[in-house]
Amino acid sequence: MSLQLLVNALVNAALIAPPAMAFSLLFGILRFPNFAIGAYITVGAFAAYSLNVSLGLPLVVASGGAMIITAVVVWLTHVVVFRPMQDQSPVTLLVVSIAAAFIIENVIRLFYSADVRGFNIPLERPWKFMDARITREQVEIIIFSGLIAVGLHFLLAHTRIGRAMRAVADNPMLAAIRGVNATWITAFTTALCGLLFGLTGVFAGLDLVIEPLVGWNLTIPIFAAAILGGIGSPYGAMVGAILVGLAEEATFLIIPSTYKVGVGFAIIAVLLLVRPQGLFGTLEIKK
Amino acid sequence: MKLSFTRRGLLAGSTAALVTPSILRAQPAEIAIGSLTPNTGGGGPFGPNITASHKRVVDAVNASGGVLDQQIRLFQENSETNPETAVRAADKLINVNQVLGIIGTWSSSVTLGIMPKCQSANVIQMCTSSSADIPVADKKGLVFNFQPLSPIWGRAIANLAKGRGIEKYAMMALNNDFTRSMMDGFIEVVGKDALVQEPFYYNAGQSSYRSEVTQLISQNPEAVFIPSYVADFTAVYKEIFRQGYEGTVITTSLSTGNQFKDAVGAAADGVIHGFPVPAINSPAYKEYLGEAGLEDTGSVQHPFGTAGRDQMSTLLLAIEKAGSTDRAAIAKAVWDVTTGEGKETVYNVADGLAALRAGKEINYSGASGSTEFDEEGMVLGRDFQLSEIKDGKDVVLERLEF
Amino acid sequence: MSAYLISMGTYIGFFMILALALNLQWGITGMVNFGVAGFYALGAYASGLLTTKLGVPVGLAIPAACLVGMLVGGCVALLSMRLREDFLAIVTLGVGEVIRLIVLNEDRITEGPRGLRIEAQPFRDFVSAENYPLFYLFFVAVFVCLTFFVCERIRKSPMGRTLRAIREDDVVAGVLGKNVLRHRIQIFAVGTFFMGLAGALYAHYTQNISPEVFLPMVAMFIWMSVIVGGAGNNRGILIGAGAVMVFLEGTRFIGDFVDILDAEKMSALRIIMIGLLLIVTLRIRPRGLLPETKFQFKPN
Repeated sequence: MSLQLLVNALVNAALIAPPAMAFSLLFGILRFPNFAIGAYITVGAFAAYSLNVSLGLPLVVASGGAMIITAVVVWLTHVVVFRPMQDQSPVTLLVVSIAAAFIIENVIRLFYSADVRGFNIPLERPWKFMDARITREQVEIIIFSGLIAVGLHFLLAHTRIGRAMRAVADNPMLAAIRGVNATWITAFTTALCGLLFGLTGVFAGLDLVIEPLVGWNLTIPIFAAAILGGIGSPYGAMVGAILVGLAEEATFLIIPSTYKVGVGFAIIAVLLLVRPQGLFGTLEIKK
Repeated sequence: MKLSFTRRGLLAGSTAALVTPSILRAQPAEIAIGSLTPNTGGGGPFGPNITASHKRVVDAVNASGGVLDQQIRLFQENSETNPETAVRAADKLINVNQVLGIIGTWSSSVTLGIMPKCQSANVIQMCTSSSADIPVADKKGLVFNFQPLSPIWGRAIANLAKGRGIEKYAMMALNNDFTRSMMDGFIEVVGKDALVQEPFYYNAGQSSYRSEVTQLISQNPEAVFIPSYVADFTAVYKEIFRQGYEGTVITTSLSTGNQFKDAVGAAADGVIHGFPVPAINSPAYKEYLGEAGLEDTGSVQHPFGTAGRDQMSTLLLAIEKAGSTDRAAIAKAVWDVTTGEGKETVYNVADGLAALRAGKEINYSGASGSTEFDEEGMVLGRDFQLSEIKDGKDVVLERLEF
Repeated sequence: MSAYLISMGTYIGFFMILALALNLQWGITGMVNFGVAGFYALGAYASGLLTTKLGVPVGLAIPAACLVGMLVGGCVALLSMRLREDFLAIVTLGVGEVIRLIVLNEDRITEGPRGLRIEAQPFRDFVSAENYPLFYLFFVAVFVCLTFFVCERIRKSPMGRTLRAIREDDVVAGVLGKNVLRHRIQIFAVGTFFMGLAGALYAHYTQNISPEVFLPMVAMFIWMSVIVGGAGNNRGILIGAGAVMVFLEGTRFIGDFVDILDAEKMSALRIIMIGLLLIVTLRIRPRGLLPETKFQFKPN
């Protein structure tokens, strides 16, 4: 495997690690795989596009705005759609989340059409070292992704609210008895995840193109990374992202590249069979 | 007991379907035509132009009194570039709206997918598709393709590229019939020896194209050829640029429209792209630009919108020529009004109708090309143009005339 | 118009078979299957390829397609041994996508993106061309009845009770001496058997199939049919499948009256309405239109 493939894998990983961590957190609190995350990412990409291209704001400012807008959308979706249905089975909620994704994506399509778009910043040529190439933008994405992982770890391990989040994820009833306000914690978590999805939308817009399906296309690698790392473990999601990135790059060496999409699924299936709790997860006690 | 319940279940389903009103059928004094375009999905960037063209032609003709003294009623549906959806949309157009033709299908899988239904209901089809299966599957001579089959594209672009002295290529194609057979056509011309490595395919909607691009440029070929559509090509090209490839990137003009140029910016400079084009200074193309409110930039705009105009114009002229709404007669009349020498050349439907009513023979020359058909209903050879993007604009490099 | 209703009825029939099969797997047994589109494709391609490439008569190709569905389904069901239901969802979605990728990429066998044209149709020589659509509607209706009959029998049988026990709590079912894995594999295979059937019927009806027909979107519509209709209740499923298809196709007619929206906006709006159908139904009737009735012990 050439050095370039390693660089590719690292950039892929940096792109899917933050949303994988966010997916993991959301799953911990809400207890179902939320397929709407792709739509949330798309919201982030289009919000940033509007602020950057239509309103002419610098991309950094636009990204901040997009993160906030996405956080609001994620929270609203939770309040309007998922919270009133919390008694439904996880699988029903999964289907509902796909319906929610359809609605969000098509509202975007209604206003923006399916045209392909890009941010108002020039493409850059790469830096070269050995025989590998990497751009400044990609280095920034990697750094941001790393900072987010460290920040999330700090939040979960060393702050009051982080401990409360873990408590609610572990056992909502016990957390409630100990005086943790689950409603507030859930709102905080959804908004926090929204910020991460929004940022991913910006990254995805930079890396790929901005169109209504941009987030949907990232969903499976994100799921794969989160499950691989072990649901509920942000560090695991990070490692999972790197492994998924590597596996997708390595596909090329083994099978025709057109099967690449299947690799994410294959990883999930094999891993779940061998180690259902993921690499870093703890085995859940079944109720 | 159980069985009766099932039947009731079935009945419930079909009665619910019955609720859909029956007044939707075209009134007797109207000619119904269906437009089935890819407004979302893979053809999303192109479909809306086709839809708009169909509507413009119909509106203009209706305003001046219609065809055969009847108004045209246009029913528009979105195929979603998906044969599963399209076949039901076609069902509605054929059986509820009772259209005499379904025009504007784009993806081959959609054109072929609705063909069994259209054939059994004697419905004319006009498409811009690429599959060589189309003439084979059309047993009744009702299908007209307004776009050269894709191996022809590949061969033409390859000839133009070869003419520029490029000798070594690497290539990858989007994994669909159109782009795959375009690549085959390209390889036919440049020869297998001109390839630095095995050509390969990629899927649309991937989460990254990094490994594909790394593979594509790994032998540092002189040029890369990437038959593709705009959404995937834009993402692929960004990656090619970011991985520092400095050779020539060749693709089709489908992938390099304004959306691509806006999304990529100055980095788009140097991309070479080819496309079948209307004859030089075609009056029909100029008229089209006016109708669609576009400036003449010298480059190909609305590649399928022009074909949409030609489909609807041809169909209406053929109806007038046939003098009835008999589908077989109309299909025959399509050749009469488009193909053959020694007729009066017309560039739009209004002139065509006037000439027909004056008892003249006409040959419609369209905005997408001269629109002459072979006996299988496939459009005949068309000029190809190779352009390069310079300073964000298409500059014509050369032309291949048939 | 009647021709339209006949073909809509036929499509509703395909949806009903798929939805009944999924209900058997999920509604009754609690096994998640998001690979519906894949098994649908499997049946369609199995029957299509057997008739076009090997010249097998349709009468044999359709049962063969069912068996292929059953075999592959049985293998996939083995995964349920170790997987939680939400994870099984993702894995089965993957199975469906991989089946589609194989069909797409192995074009020497399947014709890949070119699509497969199928001439053969059941009883084609015995029915006149103009009556054939009506005949096919009845042909499909017979299979819908058959599927419904089998599903109802399973639901009401002692096995059905075991399956529901597995759905509610597989550990308890296991402790009671039921072979949970065997039941799961059996019922999953029966479900995919019927999905294969639906695929084969679809293939010979449209006579042209391509990988794009079997996108995960189809699985989504079937899931919506089951949830909207009422998981666990076979009659509800028939209503659900009908409702989803009527909604899906009925919204098309809005476009004929409303001129303000172009075709692109119209189709975005239609998908939004489908999404809302599910969410609103679940808000008003959390257990679906016809909820599963709780079983009571009634001695003869």
